[in-house]
Amino acid sequence: MNFTGLSLDQAPPLSVPFRYFFVAPLFAMLAGIVLLFNDIMPLDRFSREVIVATHLITIGFFGFVMLGALTQMLPVIANATIKKVKLIATFSHTNMVIGLLSMVYGLLMQNQVVLTGSYVFLGLGFFTMLFAILNSIREVKNVTPTIGGMLSSVSFAIFIVSLGVVLLFEYAFSSIGFYHYALANIHSTLAIFGFAGMLIVGVSFQVLPMFYVAPSFGDFVEKKFISILAIVLLLWSLSNLFYTQWVLYIKLLLIVCFLYYAFILYRTLKMRKRKIQDNTIRYFYTAIVFLIMGLVLWLMDDYTQESFIVFVGIFVGAFILSIMQGMLYKIIPFLVWFHLNAKGYMSIPTMNEMLNKKLALWQYRFFIGSIVFFLCSLWIDRMVTFSYISFIVSMGLLEYNMIRAYKIYRLTCKKKPEFDMSGFTS
Amino acid sequence: MYSIKEYLTNDHRRCDDVFTKMEALASEKLLDAKETTKEFVGDMERHFQREERVMFPEFEEKTGMLNGPTEMMRQEHAQMRNLMAQLLQAIDADDKEKFFGLSETLMILLQQHNMKEEQMLYTMAQQHLASDAQRIIEMMDSLCVE
Repeated sequence: MNFTGLSLDQAPPLSVPFRYFFVAPLFAMLAGIVLLFNDIMPLDRFSREVIVATHLITIGFFGFVMLGALTQMLPVIANATIKKVKLIATFSHTNMVIGLLSMVYGLLMQNQVVLTGSYVFLGLGFFTMLFAILNSIREVKNVTPTIGGMLSSVSFAIFIVSLGVVLLFEYAFSSIGFYHYALANIHSTLAIFGFAGMLIVGVSFQVLPMFYVAPSFGDFVEKKFISILAIVLLLWSLSNLFYTQWVLYIKLLLIVCFLYYAFILYRTLKMRKRKIQDNTIRYFYTAIVFLIMGLVLWLMDDYTQESFIVFVGIFVGAFILSIMQGMLYKIIPFLVWFHLNAKGYMSIPTMNEMLNKKLALWQYRFFIGSIVFFLCSLWIDRMVTFSYISFIVSMGLLEYNMIRAYKIYRLTCKKKPEFDMSGFTS
Repeated sequence: MYSIKEYLTNDHRRCDDVFTKMEALASEKLLDAKETTKEFVGDMERHFQREERVMFPEFEEKTGMLNGPTEMMRQEHAQMRNLMAQLLQAIDADDKEKFFGLSETLMILLQQHNMKEEQMLYTMAQQHLASDAQRIIEMMDSLCVE
């Protein structure tokens, strides 16, 4: 049995996860700016600006946060280390940033050359990290439900990135095939429920008991749920392509699965022994509300000629954003504390001192505001402008708080407070 | 009759319970949490010593792994002892912000430490020390904290 991963000393350098986390709110802000300055109502999901904004959120925020978190969680949760992690992260991150920015430019300016480059860079960036993660998980002998979730998530990610490259290629060369829109549907649904959803479900099994002394999700959920979800998602994809008469039934099954997860998540949070209230808890409860709203609207969507599909995207997206922002508020200060502690410094700021809690609360309020204003735009068009502004401010505050934590890290390293020798005296 | 894994895992859960009680009291009035904090620190110290003075040496002798997982666990115990000492100082200074900053850090450190022990180390100890399990549990149970 390999014990090296047992210690957090084996965790990657702070710069590895942080480089992914730092760009995420910036891309989200850019999404808001694209929508704001193009002054559009994003009701046409296939319009260029909406495709750009969607990918700035899904790749720019979800993708970057998930990859950064995986590099950090693998050694701790799965006892698996990514070999040459710094080199791989540098290569993957750089390619993904260039790829995403080229995609934005190429789509907005209709520049075929830049667009062609974008899927090469994005493909290279994603695949390098995803296969490195997959390779490290391959060596894990004790596959826990959380590791199962990670494995499924990464497998779906490889599939949706491949699909994304094909779709982008078709778009760039205006060769929209017969299955283009069906594939686009599969691409987006698997990205949300497969890549992001599976990771959220799997990781929640581990982190809720860990952060809040909550009970486990139960044997059935932990051992079966990930496999059930994976099967339902695959069936849904197949039915979309070949057996469209089954789509509605399988979609219903998928909705029931995630509604059940929302219920279990709520129950677990309510039963937590640690009753403290913080931004992470706030975000978890909010995420449950958004998930339920998104799923219910998705169910109604078939009976309303897809007039709610954008709101389905907004609510389900808000569910993922809420979970990820909540997690960042835990992960960022802990990582800073941990890396400072690992250096042996005695007087390290506490986790609460790393972040500005008042700003974090305002960040949450602006985020909720952006969704509420967006809803109001159903009745008053101009409200959508407030929604974009509120979202940009919210992401700006998140970025500021993350930079603040990193500045504390740099400052403490520079000061070199006295070393803790307690480990040598016992 | 417990196995080593069950015995020490139950110990973890007991400490978790006292921890949550301590935080609940501290959120009302910090000074009211002093006794429970001392109880938590005492329980944790007893648990650490059960491992460091009984289970770890037995495991090391049986497996010959002197600088392996047990050594890493000892290092993490030292980190947690440091945080627990600061918790008590924060109560004496009536500094609620500091107290919760420390308890937050301690909780994550403690839970990831417990996870490693329960998922890896205790399972291994179970395999290697099964024939001596009752003797080891009795020794841990009757241990006087130094």
